[in-house]
Amino acid sequence: MMKLRYVWSLSCVLVSSVVLANPIEDQIRIRQSTYAVMGWNTGKIKNQIVDHPETYNKDQIIAAANTLSALAHSNLLEELYGVGTDKGTGWKPTRLKADYFQKQDEVKEINARLIKETDELKVVAETGDVAAIKSQFGKLGATCKSCHDLIRVRE
Amino acid sequence: MKVIQQMVWDWPLRLFHWLLVLSVVGAYITGELGGSLTELHSLLGALILGLLIFRVLWGFLGTHYVRFVNFFPTPERLTAYFRGDWHGVGHNPLGALSIFALLLVLIALVVTGLFANDDIAFNGPLFHLVDKSSSDSLSGWHGWLVTILLVLVGLHVGAIFYYLLIKKNNLILPMVTGNKLLRSDQIVGSVGSCSIRHLIIAIYIALTIVWVIWSGLITD
Repeated sequence: MMKLRYVWSLSCVLVSSVVLANPIEDQIRIRQSTYAVMGWNTGKIKNQIVDHPETYNKDQIIAAANTLSALAHSNLLEELYGVGTDKGTGWKPTRLKADYFQKQDEVKEINARLIKETDELKVVAETGDVAAIKSQFGKLGATCKSCHDLIRVRE
Repeated sequence: MKVIQQMVWDWPLRLFHWLLVLSVVGAYITGELGGSLTELHSLLGALILGLLIFRVLWGFLGTHYVRFVNFFPTPERLTAYFRGDWHGVGHNPLGALSIFALLLVLIALVVTGLFANDDIAFNGPLFHLVDKSSSDSLSGWHGWLVTILLVLVGLHVGAIFYYLLIKKNNLILPMVTGNKLLRSDQIVGSVGSCSIRHLIIAIYIALTIVWVIWSGLITD
């Protein structure tokens, strides 16, 4: 029993030391991963709704919309954009602009819009109306872009 | 001295010019707005590429004043111009510099756009030929080139208004009608009318290149 507890606490230390090794770089890496998953899902919607409508699969589009909405609701602004995260390397160097922290009003407005548009996408995905999904997907894309333009360094 | 009306800009050149104005303005607006308009932005990119290929070919196949060799801003022409010794008719050497700069920046814009992505839902028609990080830098360049283009367009339009208001020389009208009022000593023999055979060749090559790029035929 003692031995098990020893193993447990050792593994906790190991896990937390990995997770907390560099909290800033962890935030950057997790948010880069979040956007990669979002891109995977927007890419799937683009492919099935815009480029190849003959491949439209209602369940997959609903799943993609649900994923996007869940990530939009995931509190990422509060948890992954801490002070100091404008510099550092996750999977790759972050492109967050240094003046991100001075633009909080606009950032919060866009974040609210991201939540609203992905929620709306969920609703239209359920209806299976491809034209409506396409139009709502356009609104979501414009929302993504407004944030890219605001807080992301141009390469 | 006798003043006569002379055709300077042939009609394909004028059509090219105004289609380019419309499509570049459209591409700028759709590029800034994004969302559903990104599809239209890409289509306008195809149109602009076609127009640019046509213009390059027309620089060899067109009538006298639209041929590159007749207005290429060589150092001799530029120094003559700055000494006040240039009395030509078409693009003056300084204007020619601006024309070549505009063409080169637009070509670079279309080429970077072919490989670009927006990290949302758009991949350029040749995106698959490069890796993601190269596409990301080319997308960045695409954006910087827009900034450079805005400066060049500002200079272009500014120069036209300088000529119109200060030098009392309307350069816009000849780009519509094709004609300029010239003194008889400024005329360089016959400009001739444009060759329909050359026109068909230029349009055919431009359309073929655009079609091959957008058809997905180019794979790695």
